[in-house]
Amino acid sequence: MTSPHVRDSTRSYRPGGWFGIFGDHATVLLPPSEKARVAQLWELVDDGAGFDEVLDALISSGLRELPGFVLVSELETDTKVVIRGSARASFTADSGPIELEGSTATTWVERSLTGVTRMVIEVGDLTEGDDLPITNGLVRVGRVDAPPYEPEPEPEPEPEPVVPFAAEPEHEPGEPDDQDQDPEDVEDTAATPIPEDLGAPVPVPVPDPPPPPISSAPAPPTTDHDGMTRAGSHDPDQFAPQQPGIPGQPPAPSITRPVARLVFSSGQTVEVDRATLVGRAPEARRFPSTEQPRLVTVPSPHHEISSTHLEIRPGSGADHGSAVVIDLGSTNGTVLVQPGLAPEDLQAGIAIQLIPGAIIDLGDGVTIQVMNP
Amino acid sequence: MRQVELHHGAATDVGLVREVNEDAFLASPPVFVVADGMGGHDGGDVASAIVVEEFASLADAGYDPRRGAEAVATTLGECQRRIAEYGEQQVSSGRHQWYAGTTVVVALLVEDDSGPQWLLANLGDSRIYRFADDELDQVSVDHSVVQELIEAGTITSDDAATHPERNVITRALGGPEMAQADYFLLPLPSVERLVLCSDGVSGMIDDDAMAAILRDTDDPRDAADRVVAAAVTAGGRDNATAVVVDVVGLVAEHDYDSARQMESLEQKLGALP
Repeated sequence: MTSPHVRDSTRSYRPGGWFGIFGDHATVLLPPSEKARVAQLWELVDDGAGFDEVLDALISSGLRELPGFVLVSELETDTKVVIRGSARASFTADSGPIELEGSTATTWVERSLTGVTRMVIEVGDLTEGDDLPITNGLVRVGRVDAPPYEPEPEPEPEPEPVVPFAAEPEHEPGEPDDQDQDPEDVEDTAATPIPEDLGAPVPVPVPDPPPPPISSAPAPPTTDHDGMTRAGSHDPDQFAPQQPGIPGQPPAPSITRPVARLVFSSGQTVEVDRATLVGRAPEARRFPSTEQPRLVTVPSPHHEISSTHLEIRPGSGADHGSAVVIDLGSTNGTVLVQPGLAPEDLQAGIAIQLIPGAIIDLGDGVTIQVMNP
Repeated sequence: MRQVELHHGAATDVGLVREVNEDAFLASPPVFVVADGMGGHDGGDVASAIVVEEFASLADAGYDPRRGAEAVATTLGECQRRIAEYGEQQVSSGRHQWYAGTTVVVALLVEDDSGPQWLLANLGDSRIYRFADDELDQVSVDHSVVQELIEAGTITSDDAATHPERNVITRALGGPEMAQADYFLLPLPSVERLVLCSDGVSGMIDDDAMAAILRDTDDPRDAADRVVAAAVTAGGRDNATAVVVDVVGLVAEHDYDSARQMESLEQKLGALP
């Protein structure tokens, strides 16, 4: 555990427009537009979250939602950096000086460095101002220096044993060059476990107003993992599977009493009490256990019918009580003839309510007649 | 249920890096399972073993082939309950950091009006592939962060292989809440061969390499051995497990009927109208 006073002078910042979030294990810089998510990230970082957890939180709503950020995380002698957007950073590491610019990559720039002795991050417009020391806290920044900025930086960084960024003696200068981002090397660092013990909370000397913790989403415990595969620390709703049916409307009961009877030109009869997939070799993909569909295979000697051609199921919402038909993007399409109406070509993915007496033509001489149940 | 003749093979290897094999598999026709445990010794290996035990009892006890998804969901719920129960024992005996989870992929035969079908279920990043007409097709969709990012259009599938979060899964058994599996139904004739594998296989060899082995190896036992051996040769960074199932054909339902055979022959020869 590192006690606060040792870290007192390990970094400094220059006030600016970006948000700087400084924690024990991770430093995050976010552009001014991302104010809404700062509080949540501060909570995570202040609780001692490491690289993986913070990255999870940053990209939780997708990269497109995040125009830029900088994430720096140190673990012993390894420093991991991810930069996206307009930020720039320069490091002095075992492998020599390294300049990184987020704008050079479409997604982000990532580096794993060992033995970093100096780090300078510049974000947004260069602002003039006094450099202030900081341990942990949430501040507005334009530039971050570690070790702290000095008006005339000496070419040889004198305070060699700076704690978080110091090169440890066991590291030899002639280590393989990390700049090439050797995949093996990234592999190793990615699998490095995050320490659980984060130490006592450090008092926060924040000149700016302290962050109001909006949502108290506690950092999920870093699950012990088998080195590779691990359970994610994601909001379960975030990646929740999309519910079928009409958004905002409750899904139709999965198994109901039949709403229609289908008579196939082959003579087969099917009751529509659940989703029914019709095609040359129909398949159902990614359905929940309560909604096992029925598969009906129809002959198609000329391959005019697609393998999974259309779906007929009990309707929901306004269509409740009757069957609906949906063309599932079939190659040759589907023609629907409803009583008293002109024949229509089904549009892929659009559900059409079926009236008793309707005839569905799939091609290759296969038709389905819709009857009352 | 109409009898389907299946041949199968299975293989597992601890790999070159791990000390414990936390993978487990079941090949008990018509039920096949691969589970990839997480959590280390006395954790992940126990979780995956529980899954195999529960599905073995399902295969022994039998299930309603028309309600396959329900049977699988019930079994997965029982697995979740037993993993949580085992976890409570571990925690109460002093192992406060104890954690275990497991992925599951299941393939079993079910039946509908149109005949036998494959019902597949997936939780996590183990995979089910279909091999037909010399083409390999990944059927299951990983529950992983990179898969979600691919679907969101944030990264391409090429980025996924090197993404820092490629080993983070979004659903598994053993979490605080019961995760819902994805289910798949495939008609029997569309499948010549099914492959169930852990990410120690799919993460070490690409689809082309797996397809080449499946093309060249007729016997499913040899195919499973060679797929796992290839994953170990490619680096063996994780436990590697594969189950290969071949659909050989339908078992005849009716005994040979000589009278009917003669009638049919006479029809063909024109002796009867």
